[in-house]
Amino acid sequence: MKQIALYGKGGIGKSTTAANLSAALAGEGLDVLQIGCDPKHDSTRMLMHGTWIPTVLDLIRERGDENITVDDVVYRGFRGVRCVEAGGPEPGIGCAGRGIIATFQLLERLDALKGDVIVYDVLGDVVCGGFAMPMREGYAQEIYLVTSGELMSIYAANNIAKAIARLSRRARSRCTLGGVICNAKNIEGERDLVDDFARRINSRLIAYIPRDRVVQVAELHRQTVVEYAPDSDQAAVYEELGRTIYANQTTSIPTPLEMDELESFALEFVQV
Amino acid sequence: MNSNPSPSNSSRFEGCTLTGALSVLTEVRDAVCVIHGPSGCTHHNFSLLHATLLSNDRPGVPRLLSTRLTEKDIIFGGEEALEATIARALSLFPAPSSVFVLSTCIVETIGDDTAAVSAKAWGVPVIAVPTAGFLGGVFETGIKNALSSVASLARPAGERTLSANLVGEKNLEYGVDENAAEIGRLLARLGIGINLRFVRGIGTGDVGRLGSAAVNILREPALRPVGDDLKRRFNTPFVDSFPAGLSGTCRFLEDVGRICGIDASAAVEGERAFQREMLSRFTDIGGSRVCFRSPHPMLEGDPVAEAVSTECAAALDLAVEEDGTPIPLPYPAPVGTAGLRRMLNRWRVLVREKGRG
Repeated sequence: MKQIALYGKGGIGKSTTAANLSAALAGEGLDVLQIGCDPKHDSTRMLMHGTWIPTVLDLIRERGDENITVDDVVYRGFRGVRCVEAGGPEPGIGCAGRGIIATFQLLERLDALKGDVIVYDVLGDVVCGGFAMPMREGYAQEIYLVTSGELMSIYAANNIAKAIARLSRRARSRCTLGGVICNAKNIEGERDLVDDFARRINSRLIAYIPRDRVVQVAELHRQTVVEYAPDSDQAAVYEELGRTIYANQTTSIPTPLEMDELESFALEFVQV
Repeated sequence: MNSNPSPSNSSRFEGCTLTGALSVLTEVRDAVCVIHGPSGCTHHNFSLLHATLLSNDRPGVPRLLSTRLTEKDIIFGGEEALEATIARALSLFPAPSSVFVLSTCIVETIGDDTAAVSAKAWGVPVIAVPTAGFLGGVFETGIKNALSSVASLARPAGERTLSANLVGEKNLEYGVDENAAEIGRLLARLGIGINLRFVRGIGTGDVGRLGSAAVNILREPALRPVGDDLKRRFNTPFVDSFPAGLSGTCRFLEDVGRICGIDASAAVEGERAFQREMLSRFTDIGGSRVCFRSPHPMLEGDPVAEAVSTECAAALDLAVEEDGTPIPLPYPAPVGTAGLRRMLNRWRVLVREKGRG
């Protein structure tokens, strides 16, 4: 079983990438489980054709965790991809990080973490220990950073690389960086910039996803691109991404940049 | 309770902010304390307070209610559980005249707004007291926070009476009431009564008169920030400690007299005579050899207790020598002349035991 996690700045397109990746992997005949780890709980929505599935934490809140079965939390979407949403508290109250930990504990107890591939789609910033849960022992061994060429997005990716580096120092830790995915915003020189950033943090650009209007159109139709426009170039990009990641054996311990390195890196690429 | 806890004896002097606050707040007898956190935070404090009440022959149980937070409340926020528990506290019989809402480590971590929930229109005072220990406070911080919180129930300073408040009595120690009685006896020499024991066995309504005393008498100097706070609120001057030692007790009378505008010379003269009479009952151990020891290996010597002991040894003509009868220094230092008498009774027992070999 291959367990991977996608991390990156909020709004960068992690969920879109994750859902299309899962759809592409399922198209290869693989049994895929996608787990949305974000209180916004919209990770799997396109796989579910727009349906908001009940979140694990809402179920725990309503029923208590003794009376929940696998069928209550796992829903089959496009191509049979099994979908789970962790959920979380309303904005501004409670502790979403602890919610992720509670979700993982329940999924473990239900023996729900199985299949050929598990894709964890995690909230933008690793703000606390709870959101680093998918990186811990026994969960995702490969982390993929999703970033555009925007500097704020690169900063966020660098921060997540710090979390990976920290966790990989732990005994028995198997958490490594699988690569950097550039989800393009159509910025000049974007591919080179992300490629250079990836190399500087001891990783590599594993995929370049161009910006394409079909992504928005597919979402308006509440579908992944892979489902809505299976013959499109964009669908082919996601299918290639799926094959690359599934076959990927090369991972690394990242060497995140210091702040001054990041700033001089930015200066090299930004046209002043 | 110590203003400068030493790491070497943290087990004695640090401790939980919540426990410190409860040692004060449970002495508001018609209040209920709501502890916003997991049930264990309430349980172990209940046990401690209840056991202390019993061992001091004080019937009754501390009125504590827990919001009994579970992981679900931590993830989604515990404010609803707090509201429900305050409502439950208000529905108890007899109905509380005030409610204190104490926070714990976990609710401060997740950012529950206990002050905002407490500030709703509940019909009786519901007062939030910050007591999350992990923020760096110790037992004593809880006592200070609690005293300031209770003070918010007082009326604005009005007419003063020639009276004193006892501030911050150590409700978990033995001899609390004996010590208060001793202060009462000393103040009576100056014609001053006790206005309020703040906080010991009082009702919510009693706190109203907190501002009408002429002087606040703090239990110990560590409470100076509370003394300052009460001075700001009510303009009441304070003496920063209960009296300790023969001369210290006379000095206490002079300090209180000066603050209240009373000539204390007759009171001091009377107390000196009282002390001479007290010491005369211990002439049988005069001339013995003694040696002062720390009360426990975990405790550092209290300099006040040592000074008081040395003073008494001199007054009784005891020789302090390395191989004298080991005498543990008292902790805390004895209060007033009556406290010294109890201490000397213990010395006599030790000296006689040694003499019997």
